[in-house]
Amino acid sequence: MMRLIRILAQALMAVRAFKVRTFFCLVSVALGISAITVIVATTEGAFHEAYLMVERFGPDSLMVIAGSDEARAVGQRTKTITLADVEAARQAFTSAYMTAPLMAVEGTTASYKNNKYQTLIIGSTSDYSSAWNWPVIEGYDLAEIDVLGLKNVGIIGQDLLRELFGTENPVGKFVMVKQVLVQIIGVLSERGMSPTGVNLDNRLIMPVSTVMRKIINETRYVTLFRIRFLDQENLGHYENEMKLFLRQRHALADDQPNDFRIISPMEIIKFLVALTGSLIVFLGLAGVICLIGAGFVLANLFLLSVKERTREIGIRRSVGAKKGDILFQFLAEAVMITTAGGVVGFLLGLVSSKLLTMVAEFPIYFSWKSAVVGLLLSWSIGIGFGLQPASRAANLEPIKAIRE
Amino acid sequence: MDETTQPMVLMDQVTKSFRIADQDVAILKGIDLNVRRGEFVAVMGPSGSGKTTLMNLIGCLDVPTGGRYILAGRDVTKLTDDELSVIRNEHIGFVFQNFCLIPYATVYENVLLPSLYTMKSKNDAAGRAVDLLRMVGLEHRTRSKPALLSGGEQQRAGIARALINSPELLLADEPTGQLDSRTAEDIMKLFVRMNADHKTVIIITHDPNIAGYASRIVRIKDGLMET
Ligand SMILES: Nc1ncnc2c1ncn2[C@@H]1O[C@H](COP(=O)(O)OP(=O)(O)OP(=O)(O)O)[C@@H](O)[C@H]1O
Ligand SMILES: [Mg+2]
Repeated sequence: MMRLIRILAQALMAVRAFKVRTFFCLVSVALGISAITVIVATTEGAFHEAYLMVERFGPDSLMVIAGSDEARAVGQRTKTITLADVEAARQAFTSAYMTAPLMAVEGTTASYKNNKYQTLIIGSTSDYSSAWNWPVIEGYDLAEIDVLGLKNVGIIGQDLLRELFGTENPVGKFVMVKQVLVQIIGVLSERGMSPTGVNLDNRLIMPVSTVMRKIINETRYVTLFRIRFLDQENLGHYENEMKLFLRQRHALADDQPNDFRIISPMEIIKFLVALTGSLIVFLGLAGVICLIGAGFVLANLFLLSVKERTREIGIRRSVGAKKGDILFQFLAEAVMITTAGGVVGFLLGLVSSKLLTMVAEFPIYFSWKSAVVGLLLSWSIGIGFGLQPASRAANLEPIKAIRE
Repeated sequence: MDETTQPMVLMDQVTKSFRIADQDVAILKGIDLNVRRGEFVAVMGPSGSGKTTLMNLIGCLDVPTGGRYILAGRDVTKLTDDELSVIRNEHIGFVFQNFCLIPYATVYENVLLPSLYTMKSKNDAAGRAVDLLRMVGLEHRTRSKPALLSGGEQQRAGIARALINSPELLLADEPTGQLDSRTAEDIMKLFVRMNADHKTVIIITHDPNIAGYASRIVRIKDGLMET
């Protein structure tokens, strides 16, 4: 044990003595590792984003949207889901603990004093905030009584809030929407952009009953409904059941497409992965190429070094170093350098991903994982590409090495 | 035979050939050598006669092609590479003609080198290195790199290194070959002192004056001992 530590100290001494070799190996490894660090952080960022999206969406939720993509494309009606469908689904799916219709009205002008702004009106059942994991930071969430009583109340998103109220406190104030005065009772926290680039903070949430009756005068159709299940693990099964259930209710023939679309957490993840996947593949390739390049730089410089240090190796062998000791020393030198390169590369990766997030929307998330991946990779480069030079050093014949 | 009367080096018809241009060339053709413990032997012979080759065999840096070699009662002809390393480390001290110090290590670190590879757990090498450096008169140069030292100083560092693991056999291949005669004398006095300290010493030299320090001279010619 002490013996190994003493040999490690020799390796460290050589790393410090052969500065040019150390410098070039370190820099090339650092470049490769920094690329890998960014990749891991981006991958993690994408997964993190997906996780957040699913958390907000509700990992136990299905969302059923009226109208199929195909129907929408050819201008067919998108009004296909009725309040009766929602009610029937609630009764049919007994393991669902929540079934809530939602009404979206796009491009509606909301005004306060002289300020006007186009916004998205959402008609929701009670507890919008908790149902979508979207905190109300001031005032209150929609309550059961607001929905039952068709109250003219609303909770407001950050973007709309800025446009209409500036810095004024909106709670208790009245906003005009299609000749209806709506009292603001709560403020939603900031949520930013969706992955498709929609500003999620420009919205006004009102009781679904109020929206249907007083804003758009609709009695039958809703935009979508959401259903949450107690047994999350059977979600895939429920998705199929729901498809069959609605097709039957809508009396669709076998050759007719769905007139609705079901969105599940899995679908959200697939979508996000597709969105960032190509970026990750591109960066991944770049990183792997960098790393292999770094490995070859290391291997070559070490081979040169073994040649240059032939006599030193002979001396060490003649005073009692075993082949394994020489192998261990040269491997240790390589791993020390690549470890340092890994650390520098990680820091470089931190900085460059900060720059990347400045120029582009980039899902970057740093955790211990990118550090660990970077470290493991730098060790494998050190061992993988250091092995050949190290074993060449170990297998030098002592008598020839000394004669040099 | 008990420990003390047993020979340090016992060679019986040792041969060594090298493969040169696809041909086995016999360099040592049947060496019989007996060096008792505590002896001071000088090996002399013309250039190319095989002195260094013989020294490498004695020092377990290489293995004979044929014959038997018993080092301190142990047959070393059949040992593995690792076992030979241990023998070099614990029982043999080498002094080289061109000093063979590691250029990027300090004099002190060079002296400690053999102690790094020792398998013995008890290891007061640091203290012994200081003593040895004082003994060879280098206590003021311990932190210098070898390149800053004169030839004589480098060789004294080499001797201190050879002694760090307290070997019973000290081998030197033309240790004064690169030194002027005054300096060579100082170095030889160190070897005499080591020999007085019960170490077996074998040196190779071309110089009859140097050989004169030894208690016995053996001559080698064309790979055979001259009698
Ligand atoms: N590893 C080797 N491979 C091939 N030939 C070798 C090897 N080592 C020594 N020889 C040859 O063996 C012969 C004896 O060499 P050696 O070094 O033992 O002579 P020497 O007596 O020490 O000579 P010198 O006095 O010049 O040092 C030489 O011809 C040399 O070329
Ligand atoms: Mg020679």
